[in-house]
Amino acid sequence: MDLAFTPEEQQFREDIRAWVSENLPPDISHKVHNALRLSRDDMQRWAKILGKKGWLGHGWPKEFGGPGWNSVQKHLFEEECALAGAPRVVPFGPVMVAPVIMAFGNAEQQQRFLPGIASGDVWWSQGYSEPGAGSDLASVKTRAERQGNKYVVNGQKTWTTLGQYGEWIFCLVRTSTEGKPQTGISFLLIDMSSPGVTVRPIVLLDGEAEVNEVFFDNVEVPVENLIGEENKGWTYAKHLLSHERTNIADVNRAKRELERLKRIAKAEGVYSDTRFRDEIAKLEVDVVALEMMVLRVLAAEKSGKQSLDIAGLLKIRGSEIQQRYSELMMLAAGPYALPLMQEAMEAGWQGEAVGAAYCAPLASTYFNMRKTTIYGGSNEVQRNIVSQVVLG
Amino acid sequence: MDFDFSDDQEQLRDAVRKWVDKGYSFERRRTAVKAGGFDRDAFQEMADLGLCGLYIPEAHDGMGMGPVEGMVVMEELGRGIVLEPLVQSLIAGGVLSGYAPDAVKLAWLPRVASGAALVVLAYQERAARYRLDVCEAKATPAPVGYALTATKSIVPTGDLADAFIVPAMVDGQLALFLVERTASGVSTRGYGTQDGSRAAELTLHNAPATLITLDGLTALEHAVDIGIAATCAEAVGVMDKTLAITADYLNTRKQFGVVISSFQALRHRAADMKMQLELARSMSYYAALKLNAPAPERRAAMARAKYQLGNSMRFVGQQAVQLHGGIGVTDEYIVSHYFKKLTQLEMTFGDSLHHLSEVASRMQDTAGVFA
Repeated sequence: MDLAFTPEEQQFREDIRAWVSENLPPDISHKVHNALRLSRDDMQRWAKILGKKGWLGHGWPKEFGGPGWNSVQKHLFEEECALAGAPRVVPFGPVMVAPVIMAFGNAEQQQRFLPGIASGDVWWSQGYSEPGAGSDLASVKTRAERQGNKYVVNGQKTWTTLGQYGEWIFCLVRTSTEGKPQTGISFLLIDMSSPGVTVRPIVLLDGEAEVNEVFFDNVEVPVENLIGEENKGWTYAKHLLSHERTNIADVNRAKRELERLKRIAKAEGVYSDTRFRDEIAKLEVDVVALEMMVLRVLAAEKSGKQSLDIAGLLKIRGSEIQQRYSELMMLAAGPYALPLMQEAMEAGWQGEAVGAAYCAPLASTYFNMRKTTIYGGSNEVQRNIVSQVVLG
Repeated sequence: MDFDFSDDQEQLRDAVRKWVDKGYSFERRRTAVKAGGFDRDAFQEMADLGLCGLYIPEAHDGMGMGPVEGMVVMEELGRGIVLEPLVQSLIAGGVLSGYAPDAVKLAWLPRVASGAALVVLAYQERAARYRLDVCEAKATPAPVGYALTATKSIVPTGDLADAFIVPAMVDGQLALFLVERTASGVSTRGYGTQDGSRAAELTLHNAPATLITLDGLTALEHAVDIGIAATCAEAVGVMDKTLAITADYLNTRKQFGVVISSFQALRHRAADMKMQLELARSMSYYAALKLNAPAPERRAAMARAKYQLGNSMRFVGQQAVQLHGGIGVTDEYIVSHYFKKLTQLEMTFGDSLHHLSEVASRMQDTAGVFA
């Protein structure tokens, strides 16, 4: 048993750190470090930089152009990116749909779609949730009716993250109403510029339109865009969800934000307040414990020797920690978190801050983070799954 | 970065688990509790397995093993809520090996390893609470060695131990001493403790004492850190078994025509207990892997670990009782004994509030395992 990374792993970390330092645009990292608004261009710029290096699909198998990193290397890569202030990679293309296309798509689909995903040129969205299908995802109703060599799609998806930028969307659609709901779902790739596709933003409580509704009104989709077999889509989707694992804990970002919390607390004069300091100390231990849990899962994956039943815990804890650091940062600013100045959350704003410039995004971030315990399988559903590990 | 156990470590785990499962039944334990809380025969059986000499070099008849082996052994003993305090042998072995003069090592380490000498840390003073740097005990030079005057509390197996490791002030500096129970000026008052084990008040009046080291605070902090890591591991074993007992009960007990494990509120509680167990296990690994780090890093790591463990122990213990309903609060049924053990472990070597204070005072600008 050894906590230290191997010399090769340390070297890998240093190499990544150097590359990120040279290639991450400082205007982007400035925004990330200060929780300022990121534009479509910001996110795509970083995706294309990674894509050019072949690292946007850094989890892809080697035969599809992935760098062939093991779980530890992937973790170190993600950590160095997060610590340096790189934006989160928009996962829908490279992390979510690409593995499904690789595992279940045919050669033509792989050739057609994977290059655009790997390069960062094509923006993908996820069409899963519906107004009536949240935790109960299998109850999706968006219908795809086979008509000759095409599907005609009617229905509505919701919570489509950054769907306003999406060019393609992968959807769980209903192709049969016989039998159990899961057995009538297909996995369909839809061009969002198709006639009949309408994207409508949903404004969240932080005032931003991060998610959308996507309406399908007699949208025609070539049958060549069906992944695998009709009515097997649920199996393909489950394969995708199992890929999320240690990432979802977001512990790398938690370490970066914990440092930011300490800086803000110091600047606000609460770091030396016993009670506030205690709250930060509690969170620090929480972050250490989460990191240890992540490392245990990674090490088990790397050595292949033991199978760990704890991956489900990572999402629960990770999301709770995200909420806590966002909350403590807001509390540190106290009344100075209250002014609502949307313009102050743009980089380069030259106006006069109320309190300090860093106060502007704190409440918005706290409000936005309430989603983390809800999405990706709500924490209540996650507890159902964990309870099966304990109780059977 | 590797969290697999070696084959030798797995074999060690199996050996201890076998002894606990076959040789340390709940009935044997109950008998020992009734008889005062310490069974020398059981302690000797542990010594015969090599456990008392785990942290003692092979040159002194020990096993020459390290923190990971200690963790594995303590987890297994925790599963059986074993009364006999192996943690004290780990402390004695570690402290004497690390800080004592050669003559003292030669005289004591082989006997600690064989089980012939039960040596325990006697440091608790009324005014100190969980602090290690508050000490009223005094030692003055004597014709041979020192003469020690002290009152130490809640000394594990204090009225039955063979010798004590005692902090005392010499010229305003904390030093560490060895005192034999049979020496003059030594008196003890033994009693049972909440978890069924045994402790004693120790009074020394000009008792002859052998110096272990004048760098007493360093050695004492190290001793307590050995204790904290061992206690964390022990608690993981206790919690692991507690959760298994609870899961069994939930899957067996029927009410309203169904097994109560079908009720979501109880399933979620079980999931939360699993969360606490795995957070605790993760921090127990952390403690073991930081036990040989330089002192400031080690101290900070133990504080973080004990803080997490304390919270986990409290939750798992309390909820295990809760989920058992009425029988959870009986003496007859096993789970209350696991709960009381967890409660005692929380108040050993500093509770979670104390360690929160330690974490807060040692906070750096960065954080995480790899800052």
